[in-house]
Amino acid sequence: MSETREPPYKKVKIAETIDKFLQQIMLSKKNLQAIVSDELIKPVPFTKVYVGNVKNVKELSKIITILNEKIPIKELQHLKRAWKKEVLLCPVRYLNSMTQESIQEYLEHKVSELKDSFEYFKVMSLPSLPPRLKKQHIDYSKVWSCNFHPNEYLERLCGSDFFPVAELMKHRCYMGVAFETARYYLSEKNPDLQLSDILLRDINATVVVDPSICSIVAISFDNRECHPIQHSAMLAIDNVAKTQKGGAWNTSTDREYPPLPGIDNNLVLYLKNKFPNAKFGARNYVTKEVLDENRMSASDSPYLCTGYYVYMIREPCIMCSMGLVHARANRVFFCLSNNNQGALISKTKLHCVPSLNHRFEVFTEFL
Amino acid sequence: MVEFMKRALELASEALSAQEVPVGCVFVINSEIIAESRNSVNATHNPTRHAEINCIDQVIDYCKTNNIDYSMCFKNVTVYVTVEPCIMCASALSNLKIKEVVYGCANDRFGGKTVLDISNFYEYNYNLTGNLMATEAMALLKQFYKGANPNAPESKAKKEKV
Ligand SMILES: [Zn+2]
Ligand SMILES: [Zn+2]
Repeated sequence: MSETREPPYKKVKIAETIDKFLQQIMLSKKNLQAIVSDELIKPVPFTKVYVGNVKNVKELSKIITILNEKIPIKELQHLKRAWKKEVLLCPVRYLNSMTQESIQEYLEHKVSELKDSFEYFKVMSLPSLPPRLKKQHIDYSKVWSCNFHPNEYLERLCGSDFFPVAELMKHRCYMGVAFETARYYLSEKNPDLQLSDILLRDINATVVVDPSICSIVAISFDNRECHPIQHSAMLAIDNVAKTQKGGAWNTSTDREYPPLPGIDNNLVLYLKNKFPNAKFGARNYVTKEVLDENRMSASDSPYLCTGYYVYMIREPCIMCSMGLVHARANRVFFCLSNNNQGALISKTKLHCVPSLNHRFEVFTEFL
Repeated sequence: MVEFMKRALELASEALSAQEVPVGCVFVINSEIIAESRNSVNATHNPTRHAEINCIDQVIDYCKTNNIDYSMCFKNVTVYVTVEPCIMCASALSNLKIKEVVYGCANDRFGGKTVLDISNFYEYNYNLTGNLMATEAMALLKQFYKGANPNAPESKAKKEKV
């Protein structure tokens, strides 16, 4: 219908040094862009329908009532049954193609009382899905009259100024923390670390934030070279579990972990130095039993990654993205796309699969 | 084949007794079980601790201890799992280039074939067959969902599935 609004993955000019790159990430005022389902940004599929031009406009409402009863069209509820003098009769596929049934024959067979009501018939292509954005509604209305329920949140989400500047700077700062984490671990083995070592290697770093207290709950760095499923998101989910009296993997500094489990305490010192205003640590975990005993509500304790924001330097793979669905993360932010494995825009949009019981929002375009 | 699925079902019942979503799994090489496990999501508070992930960890630990290249090991593995692997586990198994997956009942909430066919995204795909002792696998799941997941907060419990 209209031109699509995929985030433009055009070549962005990237700074040459790690410091300059991080400045670009953290100081840019450019807003982030939500990755939304294709239904909202791609042209919708059209479906072929029969339309009848009524002879007598006075009969229109009677005809509509009869049609709604005798030939209901469940899958096209968003289309009004009539527009001006024209009436939507049925999708073309309702007719028997084996016998090459005509629309006149079909009407005589289904609603014989309307067999003489129409001047002529025609085939039209109409949008097969309801309009969800104002822009779509305007487009669709050029061809047919549609039911439309505007959703202000969705309008903003699909727009280009979703986050207010103050909030945007927080997201950019947490993304900076993710890159500093990658830099910290990679420079351990390579003191002469270059920006390309971070950008081009198939590694990831993850920072999990509880936005209700503006605090970093967990951090992780990829260990896939030693353990093929210890991608950083999987490690981050386990580190979050460790803040909730759980966890499965024995990672480096485990026993006592103020303030963050599963990672090198020196990393926290390094990050505190780089980000003096950042807070670390999770809300107090309360077990189900204690919650029940004290008649507290479920929201009085963290539960998995419910409500948490997840910042990753690179688009997570399918395994990690599904892990984050299982963990009930609230929002996922990533900076670099992952053309070979990425599951949030590159290969698929996992967070838009309609049958999954939990969905998170995804934001990108830090560059 | 049936004997391995029977073992996986035993592990799934064990999960049920531990109030976990009843899914069990065994990894087999040359008719020999090399890893076996079940769901441990509630015990670990980690929602990714599915039976398959636990088995993968066992194999990696074994290989590390015995100085074996795990990639050589995984490529000979046949996985018997009572429920179709979810999107996450299916991707993990694809990445590890395992040989084959045989499952019991389909996973219509999270299945890596049923809900989203991940084979479209990978160059390497293992051989996938289902419906081996599906009724038994499904019966365990039904039993679990008759009582709610004890670890999920009340508001979440109703939504929680497989
Ligand atoms: Zn991953
Ligand atoms: Zn799984």
